[in-house]
Amino acid sequence: MRKVLAVIRREFMERVRQRWFWVMAVLGPLFFGALFILPTLMMGKTGVKRIAVVDGTTSTFGARLAVRLDAEPLFIAVRVAAGPGTIDSLRGAVDRKELDGFLIVGDAAVDSGKVMYRASNVSSPVTIGSLEHVISEMVNATRLEREGVDPALVTKARIRIDLDSKKVSGGKETGENAAQSFSLAYFMGIILYMAILLYGINVMSSVLEEKTTKIVEVLVSSLRPFQLLLGKVLGVGAVSIFQFLIWGVSTRLILSQRRHLLGEPGLNDSGGFFQMPHVTAGTAAVFIAYFLGGFLLYSAMFAAVGAMSSNEQEARQAQQPVVMLLVASFISMFAMLNDPGSTLSVTLSMIPFSAPIAMPVRWAAGNLPIGEVALSLGILTVSILGVTWIASRIYRVGILMTGKRPNLKELVRWVRAA
Amino acid sequence: MSQPIVAVDHITKRFAGHTAVDSLSLAVPPGVIYGLLGPNGAGKSTTIRMILNIYAPDSGTVRLFGEAGTGRDHSGRIGYLPEERGLYPKMRVLDVLLFLAELKGVDRRVARPKALDWLARLGLSDWRMRKVNELSKGMQQKVQFISTILHEPDLLVMDEAFSGLDPVNSQVLKDTVLELRARGKTILFSTHIMEQAEKVCDHVCIIARGKKLVDGTLSDIKRTHGGRHVLVNFDGARGDADRIFADRRQVAKADVSGQFAELELAAQGDAQEILKALVTSGARLSRFELAEPSLNKIFIDLVGPDAANAIARPDAEVARA
Repeated sequence: MRKVLAVIRREFMERVRQRWFWVMAVLGPLFFGALFILPTLMMGKTGVKRIAVVDGTTSTFGARLAVRLDAEPLFIAVRVAAGPGTIDSLRGAVDRKELDGFLIVGDAAVDSGKVMYRASNVSSPVTIGSLEHVISEMVNATRLEREGVDPALVTKARIRIDLDSKKVSGGKETGENAAQSFSLAYFMGIILYMAILLYGINVMSSVLEEKTTKIVEVLVSSLRPFQLLLGKVLGVGAVSIFQFLIWGVSTRLILSQRRHLLGEPGLNDSGGFFQMPHVTAGTAAVFIAYFLGGFLLYSAMFAAVGAMSSNEQEARQAQQPVVMLLVASFISMFAMLNDPGSTLSVTLSMIPFSAPIAMPVRWAAGNLPIGEVALSLGILTVSILGVTWIASRIYRVGILMTGKRPNLKELVRWVRAA
Repeated sequence: MSQPIVAVDHITKRFAGHTAVDSLSLAVPPGVIYGLLGPNGAGKSTTIRMILNIYAPDSGTVRLFGEAGTGRDHSGRIGYLPEERGLYPKMRVLDVLLFLAELKGVDRRVARPKALDWLARLGLSDWRMRKVNELSKGMQQKVQFISTILHEPDLLVMDEAFSGLDPVNSQVLKDTVLELRARGKTILFSTHIMEQAEKVCDHVCIIARGKKLVDGTLSDIKRTHGGRHVLVNFDGARGDADRIFADRRQVAKADVSGQFAELELAAQGDAQEILKALVTSGARLSRFELAEPSLNKIFIDLVGPDAANAIARPDAEVARA
């Protein structure tokens, strides 16, 4: 055991001493911070839109709409009387970028709610949302007035709807809304994928380094290959946990300061698509459990890949199947975010190779039965034992082998060898 | 005779397609320098790896220090210098030494002063905080050598001990090995360079194609395998040397290379007759000496065709020298 500790200590110290560890420690939170802040920034910064309201109404509706829109901070609006050639000349103005877009309203607007919007950009949810909001408000008020309702009463009766969605977890409200759940799931998926890949490949290079420098022969004359593998995986794992601690603390700091960083009081917590989630103890536990599970599973495979290769190029090739397995799990995360309860999502969270990403994503996105988590963790644990057993046998033979990379048949023989 | 430090009993190791070591037995007595000799590909490294339990033998047993347990179980008492040297290139010299000592069960705090002491002895003090890959090859070799003896092993195992060392480092290594023996340690090393083995070994075991050809003390081997030898150096004129050496009544075997010849006398051969014949035929001699055979001669006689095979391999160039 003391020898395993020595290996753990070496792996940990040598990595933490390296410059890249501290570069990652600094860049990580900046990167994750940007992941949250940039979308908010980009969606918020739509700018003021210059639009024209083409008034084809027989009432004052068109004129009032133009005035009402112009009052919004997001728009500069002018009324243009409908006539022959008006639409064409406005199209020209949009083309020349003198105008961002134009609305076409007729009497049908009030009768059936039909309004047309033509613009150079119709994908900004902020612009479209505001337009819809203002128009429907005006249409509703006009229709009520037409039925003889007092406009003052209409104003009085109108209230702003604020949909307060909260996630229910363990029979309690968590104080977490839909946007926060989504960003937590998204964030955990990305970080799990990157960390498992990064530290798995770290284990592989470490195995490869000992093999190519031939020091492995001295090492295995002192301790069993399995002890060496164990110490290596645990040492690299400890580095990753340390890195997470640094990231966790500094990301929290950055996000708590993001209003200052952005310098825009208007962009508050309720505005963005991505929001800083509350990480509960349960979520943290699920994250750590599945990270460790995924790391152990994948690093065992990466170690075997390192052991069967004799140089970097060979290893890069041989690692492809393992990397693909991880990438596939990561990509399927996006399907799961839409429907965490689907058969696909449940299946992926049970398969040990995708579970380390799938299960935490499902956990963060929606409420999960504890039984499912337990079952998935059980399958993962059994798989880790199985995969490690196979990988350590490949490792044991591979680290002392030179020459060409073994084919599948030879690998099977390595595993079978007593 | 006391309990051997290493007792190898009929070990066999097969790799895909060939038998690397074939039912080999040997015994290394305590406190000696034991040479495991053989041409390249004879199975020396495989034998050493089996002794250290890096490979498990397919059959046969290895017993160390007269006790139960594998080489790995006894690794704290064994120092191992493998044929292919290597250290962690990005680690600091002192850290590598402390780490390897830890793997041998030595506490870092105990290993530290010893490591510093050895680094000073081998002139590497200024390099202790440098990374291994900043050192020259020779310096790296010295660091690796320190790592094999830092934990004061009772048994030092060196595969191709002197390969790749410059004469100065080679001398340092040899001196240290002799000093270790003087302190009662046992040294087992393999080499294909007979001159080196002849200078330092007490015992030797010559193997070829995975099989033992002969083992014993160096003097015993010379006595039994030597016969009577004559060393001849010509000084210019060789007279009728070729005809005289071909006379099987006098000379059993002649190893002639230019101005030098090593002769093995036939059973009825008489050195004086040969000397007289040479001088009469007009040869000029600077040396005519009755001698023990060199280890190299015994080696080549025993190994024969294998040695020829070995020379076909590029790294065997040294073996001929």
